[in-house]
This record gives sequence, structure tokens and C-alpha cells, in this order.
Amino acid sequence: MTTPQTAMIRKTPVAYAQQALKPKMGELHGMEVALEFEGANVENARKQLLGVTDVSCFQRFSVKGPQAAAWLAGKGMNTPAAINSWDEAAPGTMILRLGGSEFLLEDQYSGDTCPGLAKDFKQADVPGVYKVQRADAAFILSGSEALDLLSELCMLDLRDSALSGNAVVMTQIAGISATLLRQTLNGQQVYRIWCDGTYGPYLWDMLTEVAQELGGGAVGLSCHFKK
Amino acid sequence: MKLLECPMNGVRPLSEFLFGGEYREMPDPDGSDDYEWAGYVHYRDNAPGVKKEWWYHGPSGTWFIAERNTLTDEVLKTYLFGKGQTAAGKTNKNQTTSTEQSI
Repeated sequence: MTTPQTAMIRKTPVAYAQQALKPKMGELHGMEVALEFEGANVENARKQLLGVTDVSCFQRFSVKGPQAAAWLAGKGMNTPAAINSWDEAAPGTMILRLGGSEFLLEDQYSGDTCPGLAKDFKQADVPGVYKVQRADAAFILSGSEALDLLSELCMLDLRDSALSGNAVVMTQIAGISATLLRQTLNGQQVYRIWCDGTYGPYLWDMLTEVAQELGGGAVGLSCHFKK
Repeated sequence: MKLLECPMNGVRPLSEFLFGGEYREMPDPDGSDDYEWAGYVHYRDNAPGVKKEWWYHGPSGTWFIAERNTLTDEVLKTYLFGKGQTAAGKTNKNQTTSTEQSI
């Protein structure tokens, strides 16, 4: 007897932390993600003040090794020259240079570069390049009070030059290792945070708890990206 | 708050780092006798002074060497193993700014 092939829908790493909020769920890139928590008006206000959005469903691809930059360049990817910085690898896809020879690519809502790279990558054919398995929980932190939240949860002073330009900062947020950068999304300055997926529920709880104290809260994916 | 400079990531709170022990030159495993090898594995002189130490920056996974005076707890310099050296105490205040990217 054969088992029929069915597309598996994964849950976001923070699904169980979000359960109590009863979000309206949807599917993006094979992952179930919270689209809306409280309705558009409330969430738009939160987005301007202090909103936390789960974007773990974005597609990612990561490689490291002495030949990683050259391999990515050969695939037509624009790679950042400076360590700990980010850039646009291809339209709709961001690339983070994590240290000297490790790169993380992430398709934004409209990007679709990572699946092609993953398909093209054959370990045996590319000496000096090694695929890095990623299982990130990823968040968008938006609003005018975002720096106040980070000043409560991160010991690094992010007000000055730490996040200037296209800097990528690897630091600790709420006691766990996280990667942080600042970008402009739909005209709004937002912060992006990545951490190991197993810490995702904890970090979601911490971010939303402090956000609520400061007048904000959870924001669904639909608030940032209209279908 | 105590601070330490990671050669890759700049000045960070000490809580982001782990101490990896003193760095010492390893004797040739094939050419050393048991006495010399046991000394390398088991013995530390623990005398206060300037030591080379392994340190680890957790969030970025960076191992590096810090030269630290264990009597005064003053870090003299930090650098990647086998690579260039950076002076301790340098801050990122002079980091240049550029236009932020939109994506």
C-alpha cells in the first residue's frame, strides 16, 4: 500500500506561544503563520507605536566557508563586502554577512530566490562551501517605541552607531543569542530579529509582554503585507 | 557593566562571552614524552600575570584570544587566533554612517 503524497504544512516555531491570542491563521511558503490578531484598526495603531510580527515563514538559505562568497557571486547574488552587514542579494531577497565567511539569505514577502539556491546547491560539487541548516524564529519590531523595548531587553546600546547603515548586530536579547538589524519596510523604519527557533516562543512572549507594557502588542503578517 | 572587545563584533557586555581557558602552546604529540604531555594537559601554574586566554562570543560563535592581566583583570588586546591583533578598549564610536537600505 502506498501513502499518498501530501504537502506538509509546518507550524511557525512560535505557534504555541500565540495560541492564547487566537490569531487568524494563514499559510505562506508551507508554514502556518498568524495573519491577524485584533483587527486592522488596532493592529495598524500598534504597528505605528510598537508592534511585534512573526515572520518565521519567510524562506531562508544559508552557506558558509572560504568559497561561500564566490559561490554566491557566481549565482548572481550581490554579497555585502563588510563583515556583519546586510544588503539586497537579488530583488526581494536580503543577504546578511554573519562574520567573515557565513551568509544568510532571506526572501522577503515578494522574494523567491532561496528555493532556487537550495535546489542548485550540491555539496560534492562545491568544495569550500557548506550549507547551514536554519530553523529561525524571525520577527519584525515596528513603531516609535521599538528602541525603548530594545533598551529593556538588550544590554547593547542600540541608540547610537550600533545599527547605523546596513549593520548586522549579533547580540543577546532577553538573554538569548539573536541577530538584529534595522531596515525600512513600506516606508517605515523597523527592526528585524532572528533567533534559534527553539527560543522563538520565549522571545515572542518577552517581546509582546514588554510591547504591551509600552502600549503595543502582537501584529499579524497581513498588517505589513497586503495580499 | 564589564565590557570586552570581540575582534569581529566590537565592544560587548561581558555576559555575551564565555571563558575558554588559558591558551598555551601544545607540545608536539609525537615528539613529547609522557611527562611533558601530562604537564600540558593537567598542570597550570596559576601565577598572576599577563595570560593568553580563549574567549567565546556566544551570539556570533566567535572564538578569539584575549591577552589579560589576571592580577589586575585588565584586557590588553584581543584578536582572532593566528590573525591580526586589535587593541583592547577600542569602541565603535567612529563607525561611519550611510544611508539605510530599503527592501
